[in-house]
Amino acid sequence: LNCFIFDSFRFLIKGGLAGAAVYVAYDQGLLGSGTQGAEALKKAQETLPPAIQEWTSYLGWEVRAAQLPPTPKFDFSLSDAWNKGVHTVMSALSVAPTRACEYTMEGWKYVKDLVK
Amino acid sequence: MASEGDLGRKWDRCVADSAVKLGAGFGLGIVFSVIFFKRKSWPIAFGSGMGLGMAYSNCQHDFQSPYLLHGKFVKVS
Repeated sequence: LNCFIFDSFRFLIKGGLAGAAVYVAYDQGLLGSGTQGAEALKKAQETLPPAIQEWTSYLGWEVRAAQLPPTPKFDFSLSDAWNKGVHTVMSALSVAPTRACEYTMEGWKYVKDLVK
Repeated sequence: MASEGDLGRKWDRCVADSAVKLGAGFGLGIVFSVIFFKRKSWPIAFGSGMGLGMAYSNCQHDFQSPYLLHGKFVKVS
């Protein structure tokens, strides 16, 4: 009987911990819609660097150039990065014929000078 | 508001949501693995997969619902 009570108690504790973890995740909006998830990530991005800063100063690790890098800033936009990449590639392609001409002329001039 | 800007914002939201759901699924998988399943690795993979699946479903719903208009009939007496 004692074993049964102890096992039941242990199961209740474990169930409670697991349920609390799921509830916290739900409450923070981690399991909701896409908008909620994006907002949760934004909130975390704003909260994390000051938290890292606080912990490093609490532990006595000063942020110096030689020792620790500065607190990282997370701000990544996939669409901005993609658009920038497309612009860069298209700009490079648009000037490619002109540049190829210039390099060919320079190379030809170099070879002519060598041959002289 | 330009439609390509709106599409870009949807993609950003999708990526952010995927990261959040993957992290949450991974974390909950670790919790369940430690508490119930004797530190096996499959709950972690299961949780991560569930998170990714939820994110995919949210993204799909977000991309497919641009022009849905929800109306309702109002009786004029």
